Amino acid sequence: MDVPVSEVIRPATVADAVALLASRTDARPIAGGTDLMVQLRDGRRSAALLVDLGGLGLDGIRRTDAGFEVGALTSMDRLAADPAIAAHFPALAEAAGTVGAWPIQCRATLGGNLANASPAADTAPALLVADASFTLVSPSRTRRVAAADFFRGPGRSALEPGELLVSVALPLGPTVGGARTVERFVKVGPRREQVISVVSLAARAVVRADGTLELLRVALGSVAPTPVRARRAEAVVAGRRPDAPARRAAVRELQRDIAPIDDVRAPAAYRRIVAAVLLDRFLEDVDRG
Amino acid sequence: MADRVIVTLTLNGERRAFEVAPGRRLLDLIREDAGLTGSKEGCGAGECGSCTVLLDGSPVTSCLVLAASADGHEIVTVEGLGGGGSLHPFQEALASHGGVQCGFCTPGLAVTGAALIARGRGGAHENARRLAGNLCRCTGYVKVLDALRAAEDEVDRVSR
Repeated sequence: MDVPVSEVIRPATVADAVALLASRTDARPIAGGTDLMVQLRDGRRSAALLVDLGGLGLDGIRRTDAGFEVGALTSMDRLAADPAIAAHFPALAEAAGTVGAWPIQCRATLGGNLANASPAADTAPALLVADASFTLVSPSRTRRVAAADFFRGPGRSALEPGELLVSVALPLGPTVGGARTVERFVKVGPRREQVISVVSLAARAVVRADGTLELLRVALGSVAPTPVRARRAEAVVAGRRPDAPARRAAVRELQRDIAPIDDVRAPAAYRRIVAAVLLDRFLEDVDRG
Repeated sequence: MADRVIVTLTLNGERRAFEVAPGRRLLDLIREDAGLTGSKEGCGAGECGSCTVLLDGSPVTSCLVLAASADGHEIVTVEGLGGGGSLHPFQEALASHGGVQCGFCTPGLAVTGAALIARGRGGAHENARRLAGNLCRCTGYVKVLDALRAAEDEVDRVSR
């Protein structure tokens, strides 16, 4: 059955796309459509005009001076398969490869995953850990918003009406002599494949030769109204070796970083336990080397 | 009411144009406008994989693709997998290994499996992961995965 829209336009430039989106309150952008098509069908969202972003040339991964820039229309499949992303941002590659199943990954886009602002968005924790920033374009300005400032609540983001997320910047961190980097994304759900996260965790640790932490970033999904950085947990082990006492402290602090709820997928208490286990395991693996 | 849009695409190797409603799904264009009823609608929400087709060589659930978004792209359905009226090696293998029961999921499985073979040989775990978006509720996946392995062997043998 057709989805209930009365017009679809595929603009050729970002300027035309944002002009269209800003000029009509009943317009919505569509990229991969893997969420929007279902929402339109079920009446959970509506739009008279769909602005198809497929003609803007926003797909692709580009090396920049500071790191990488990923176009908002880049598919999850492409992200997951890209050797440079796998090498420098393994949590992002892993996360992209767990969004839905393969036919979804071939269609779903990075920009769509983020603009939806779901607390469960798989790529969000990985981008928080990468210290990514997003380029947002409207008819009047182009601005950069840090991933940490982008998510505002379930389904709510820093995007203003008529504003479009066009790319994601992934900075390469400084290389620390003698240090090794460990990065991971893990997702827990009721089954192994094609699942919405009950808890997801992305983490990056830079470990000095003596086993102490040069850097630790931890972010989680599905445990708060937005994807969140676990800043208290990070702070308590910062500069230390993540040994058993440090891990206990981190896991205790983590409980103040998160605010999970009971919902159809899992009770809050279970999410708290899973989050603790995922962080503990990561830090233990980091400590083991 | 809605203006109609012209969608021009390559369908199973043939350049075709369709005049459709703006909210037309690719799946409906394929089944109803092009009359190719191999692709099936199961859940209509991208979860079951019965409607999987190739879009520019990658498997996608056609129930979630806006037909207008497919304009200018290349679509291959289960009918066109083998090319020239023959079956794809994975289709042959599904038949010979009994990897089919009621058949509703089969077109989608055939398409995803063919895409997987085109990407190059994967291990057993990789193959199972890639097929996880194509749900079979009759029987299971053992014979399907056996068929995939056999098709990979056959493609390797022919290309050697």
